[in-house]
Amino acid sequence: MPSTPRNFGEVQLSAIYEMANIGLGNAMTALSEVTGQPFNMTIPRVEFLPSDQVPLLLGGDEVPTVAVYMPIAGQVEGHIAFLFPWESAKRLWNMLLGQAPESVADIGELEASAMLEIGNMLNSSFLNALADMTQMQMHATPPLVAAEMSYAILSTLATEAALSQSTALAIETRLECSTDEIQGVFVCLPTIESIEKMLSALGLAEAA
Amino acid sequence: MVTEQTMVGMADIQVIDSKGQLVCLGLGSCIGVCIVDPQANVAGMAHIMLPATFPNSVNDKPGKFADSALPTLISLLEKKGAQKSRMKVAYAGGAQVFKFGENSSKLDVGLRNSQAVAEWLQSSGLKVISSDVGGTVGRTVTYSMDSGDFKVRTVQKGESTLCNLKGS
Repeated sequence: MPSTPRNFGEVQLSAIYEMANIGLGNAMTALSEVTGQPFNMTIPRVEFLPSDQVPLLLGGDEVPTVAVYMPIAGQVEGHIAFLFPWESAKRLWNMLLGQAPESVADIGELEASAMLEIGNMLNSSFLNALADMTQMQMHATPPLVAAEMSYAILSTLATEAALSQSTALAIETRLECSTDEIQGVFVCLPTIESIEKMLSALGLAEAA
Repeated sequence: MVTEQTMVGMADIQVIDSKGQLVCLGLGSCIGVCIVDPQANVAGMAHIMLPATFPNSVNDKPGKFADSALPTLISLLEKKGAQKSRMKVAYAGGAQVFKFGENSSKLDVGLRNSQAVAEWLQSSGLKVISSDVGGTVGRTVTYSMDSGDFKVRTVQKGESTLCNLKGS
């Protein structure tokens, strides 16, 4: 078992897993609606990682990756991002636009705004589910998109998380579309304080 | 022949002597700083994440912050016989890779990292040979002990030599 800062117990970890599951389920429904394709997801890992180890999630590679990133503000603070390997991102663009850029350099206004829309939709449906469950206020800020080496993207996210001086919770999610083999990874980096607040809201705060 | 590569992960500092390569993979907002003393034949690299140590907190990872990583790197090199007066520096990174989106200009850690590194190096009096910072591209940097080449690799442009830290 990975070490968990502040000793989150089994009950708390499975609650976090459940919250992620419901939030991401919501996001997948939204993605299926907009693309007209069935999407499935699995959550292979929910892990507490020091933020400087976040890049290891994708193997610390240099493969081009497209990421949609959103800082979260409100009672819950943190960072969430969906990452798509380049080939999957191209398939997603094809579904949405009927065309895809050849290379990272060819991403234009149209492709960027389509990806920003996807990010908006995925992230807000995820956050809505969490807000409903916990009755806490949290809002997404406008999304940002990058198309870069996976390590450059993840290390930038890890740095943003480190700025809030917290150990991060990384939820690795694989999403798949049966017809077109789209894969993605979801990374969620809330502050430890935010996790504690959400667990309290669910009546699962740790015994002192 | 396979060249031995020493990976310098986030918030890490590595020093090598004689042979091999130092590599900082996929720098986004982070900065890879390479300092070399060609005469002593030692080289070191730091993978800096943030500009300055947080006030009122214990800095348990000197490689993470510009203001602690650079002095630590220099003292590690000095232990291997390097002298400040002979040291040569090259660095790269500090980008804003999230270039699409209306709030993209608000992510400025890369910029602040570049400024912190530049200011620290200037006040240290070390000889900076070259730097490649800012913009929106992720970079992998490599230093080869054999050739003295400091190389920068990007997704779009591939690899090119930024400068040589060995020659006079």
